[in-house]
Amino acid sequence: MRLALRTCLPAMLLLLGALAGCATPPDPADPDAVEDYKAANDPLEPTNRVIYEVNDGLDAVILRPLALAYRNVVPPPAQQGVRNVLDNLASPVVLANDMMQGKPKRAGDTFMRLVINSTLGMGGLLDPATGMGWPRHDADFGMTLAVWGAGEGPYLFLPVFGPSNPRDALGRGVDMAMDPFAWIGKGGTVEALGYARTGANAVDTRARFLGDLDRMRAQALDPYATLRSLYRQNRQSTIDGVIADERGVSRAPRPASIRP
Amino acid sequence: MSTTTRRLLLAAPAALGLGLLARPARAADPDSATAFVDAMLRELLAIANGNQPQAAKRAALARVVETRVNLDAVARFCLGRFWRTATPQQQADYTQLFRRWLIRSVSDKVGEYQGVTYTMGRATRREGDISVSTVVNRPGNAPNRVEWVVDAEGPPMVIDVIAEGTSLRLTQRSDYASFLSRNGNNVQALIDALRQQAAAAG
Repeated sequence: MRLALRTCLPAMLLLLGALAGCATPPDPADPDAVEDYKAANDPLEPTNRVIYEVNDGLDAVILRPLALAYRNVVPPPAQQGVRNVLDNLASPVVLANDMMQGKPKRAGDTFMRLVINSTLGMGGLLDPATGMGWPRHDADFGMTLAVWGAGEGPYLFLPVFGPSNPRDALGRGVDMAMDPFAWIGKGGTVEALGYARTGANAVDTRARFLGDLDRMRAQALDPYATLRSLYRQNRQSTIDGVIADERGVSRAPRPASIRP
Repeated sequence: MSTTTRRLLLAAPAALGLGLLARPARAADPDSATAFVDAMLRELLAIANGNQPQAAKRAALARVVETRVNLDAVARFCLGRFWRTATPQQQADYTQLFRRWLIRSVSDKVGEYQGVTYTMGRATRREGDISVSTVVNRPGNAPNRVEWVVDAEGPPMVIDVIAEGTSLRLTQRSDYASFLSRNGNNVQALIDALRQQAAAAG
């Protein structure tokens, strides 16, 4: 049930977004306004803004205080340990995506990290692999779809998850379904561990962005639009980085065209 | 081929050659841009790690930003198409507020620059500028990819900072553009909001 719900949620939200209000298209006679509208690529802006406000309110009373407490109470080495464990738990999905993206060097890095950190690193608590030359990187199915040539589509602000787009929202669902830990075992303990992991992930991620998000909120005249721009730029640059990473990709000469 | 076309074809390389000669002698090339960024970062970190009181450090950082960053060019870029519709008075007010905001947002973070180290990367020439890549290491944080974009046509100064793929000036421009579109494209509303923000920051 947990899996089904977590997997279907982004899809349901997608549908919800599609049904809800759309931004008023600009006056076609005003080329500058049309240009702005296209640049924002946010036809669902009114709905997105409502979800953003709700998220923001929830964040202010739940997630941000939790993240603040976590950062101020838990000693930094323990925070690093938690982060390492979460990263290690995520690496099977990262590995699968590295392979689907056709990036042997990146897949090798992730594989070595998984093996070394799970053993020498005491079940992922420590991260000796980085020091040994296998640094961490992210990979998710949204990125894989992008490498395969899928466009991002219009901007979406998802409840709970925040900035996204149809491609990345679909990717999120696929990543959840691919996660071996969502399939292994049954029963109350397993389920509780699953929730603990999801919760820890949320708090840890939020804690990492405490300073940046607070500053952005204080400085931006329109935090919604600023977050939209930051998300898109960061995502695009990560994807460009993956596509440009040709290490280990065999450059076999193209086979000569076969004549009948 | 008509005579005119032929003449044009002959003239084109000559014009190009003249264009190259006419470029300002001090314009940056990848090597000088790298040296420029390296010197700037050294300067910034020497201030951040120095023994002066915080206020003096902030003032020194502000001076570095003023001399190394083409604040007026960045300000104009961030206003985008609205620069053209603004009155000269609005342009002046906006530029002044923008300069204050940018200088402040750099110098306020002086404490965060302590203990920071960096490594210089490659410099790549793009359209009218040169992007110098660096990796910035802050104690207790994952290394950050930061690109410093140096103007290759005007005076050799920084015109953008791209941290982990997010461009400071693009982000700022989209913030202003969205604010303006929600406030009837009225540049005065933007100026008032910036003024209010500056007053709130003290």
